[in-house]
Amino acid sequence: MASPSRAPDSADRIYFTLTALMGGVLLIYFASVPLLGLNVAFHFYLMLWITMASAFNVASGFAGYMPFGYVAFYGIGAFTTAILVKKAAFPVFLALPLSGVAGIVLALLFAPTLRLSGIYFGIVSLALAGICRLVITNMPEEITGGSFGLQLGSRAHPVQSFYVMMAVMVVALAVILWLSRSRLGKALRATRDDADAAEMMGVNVPIVRLWGWLISAFFPAVCGGVEAWYTNVVDTETAFNTLITAKTVIYAVAGGLGTVTGPVLGAVAMVWLDELIWRQFPLLNLLILGLATIVLVLFLPRGIVGTLLRKKPQWRRYIP
Amino acid sequence: MELLILNGLVNGLIVGGIYALVGVSLTLLYGVLRVVNFAHGEFVIAGSFLAFVLFTSFGIPPLLAVPIAAVVFFIAGWGLYYVLIPRLARSDDPELMSFLMFYGVSIAAAALMLLLFEADSRTIDYTFTPVSVQVGPIYVSTARLVAFAITVVVSIALALFLFKTLPGKALRAAIMNPEAIQIMGVDIVRLSAFAFALASALAGVTGVLIALVFPAFNPFSGAEYTIIAFIVVVLGGLGNPVGALLAGVLFGLAEQMATVFLPQAMAQIVGFLILVGTIFFRPSGILGVRFKR
Repeated sequence: MASPSRAPDSADRIYFTLTALMGGVLLIYFASVPLLGLNVAFHFYLMLWITMASAFNVASGFAGYMPFGYVAFYGIGAFTTAILVKKAAFPVFLALPLSGVAGIVLALLFAPTLRLSGIYFGIVSLALAGICRLVITNMPEEITGGSFGLQLGSRAHPVQSFYVMMAVMVVALAVILWLSRSRLGKALRATRDDADAAEMMGVNVPIVRLWGWLISAFFPAVCGGVEAWYTNVVDTETAFNTLITAKTVIYAVAGGLGTVTGPVLGAVAMVWLDELIWRQFPLLNLLILGLATIVLVLFLPRGIVGTLLRKKPQWRRYIP
Repeated sequence: MELLILNGLVNGLIVGGIYALVGVSLTLLYGVLRVVNFAHGEFVIAGSFLAFVLFTSFGIPPLLAVPIAAVVFFIAGWGLYYVLIPRLARSDDPELMSFLMFYGVSIAAAALMLLLFEADSRTIDYTFTPVSVQVGPIYVSTARLVAFAITVVVSIALALFLFKTLPGKALRAAIMNPEAIQIMGVDIVRLSAFAFALASALAGVTGVLIALVFPAFNPFSGAEYTIIAFIVVVLGGLGNPVGALLAGVLFGLAEQMATVFLPQAMAQIVGFLILVGTIFFRPSGILGVRFKR
């Protein structure tokens, strides 16, 4: 090693090797799902939940907020794509990014709530999601389709939407991976741990929080749009279902908040478990989801990765 | 029009009494234990189902179901406390994790009721004679008046308990300063278990009253009451029982008057806006007394 300052140190090397390895496995596996004739629907939702849980992690694990109304972004995204495609005859590929924009606009509207903290933030977030659902439910039927919802017609293309979902997941994970090593990510974590101290060190606390919040809002909105395209139908009952928030939070917590791999692992483990349970006992599904949450909070509050890192703190440098 | 407004006022008072009870039990729980019971609405609806089962299977009238619910829920709450809370206290951020855990409890409780009673809306086919009573120029159903009377009795009993008895004073002291009360020799774990049991009992009783006042309930009605409880609790100031009682009545009146003047959906949005507005502009609630941790 000629110059130690230029050469990446060994911890970094392990970190990047691990990241490339896991990313490669994820990419090759998902890319080959339609080619090998595996269950497209299952893997579509697996990627959706990986993306949702990872994006939620930015708000909760990185920034320290618990948005219990997270579904609002997803619902807005779903309706944006549905309305643009159905009522304004937009092509799907133009509507999807606009769903993301809608998510960002909504996040900007909710930005004043960022000065709240703890349970106050959680309760307000919940109430705002309720308002969103009520407003959309009560919009004129010509726009949102009323209680029947909107059918997108013959635009469904499962394999295409599968690969679009995959692209969204890859972008989300790449952004979060970048965030976890970036100045912004460090500032976010510092703000989460002690906002006053971070401010003293020259962090622009409101701006940093806002960036985290916007990243966290963009991806669920796009997810909502892609899912609307995939299933071909959108209505307020499913697009604003609190279970979407519940699953997102539970999957993220199961893996471990604050790490990049946590929510991915959590989503994979829980979606797989969910599928296993649902196949066996469709009626008990909801009950087991609830019980799993209780057990998780009581016995594994730091999640899979978080618990591992607590036992082996020295691994923190290697695991993304 | 005056009749409509008068109707709104009377119903607002009755519904507000129920909301006050929903709120006061949640605020006691938060005040003493610092846990946010997201499943509170499900506890309440479980009380409604208990009244339903007692009446349809055993022929026990709702009035008798009130004390039965109180006892059953007190015991259940006591047990649930020891299953859930001591372990929760060991996590990094118990207050926020409690929200998540009770989220799970709420899903599990709703699912359990769904398995037991199915998704249909239920009503208790119990009628008082006479069916309604004339109050001034308007008619009010006897069931609603009876429920209101029980609400008032329970509220007064609770207030007397909190302000005149030693355990009640201990509860209020625990809300104000949980460290100091332990120095004074109070067993905080037992007191917390008692608070959880008391809040559960109140929730169960409220559920029975809801079965009397509102036309129907189903396993998923719980979420509505959780939101209402949050609104009332925030409006009254987190952890402030007197504030919650007052806020419940106020919110009931506001909601019923809103339904007189606004379409149904708008009235619901008003509730949410009150919640968000209070947190932003008056986070310590209408009374402005903040119970510090």
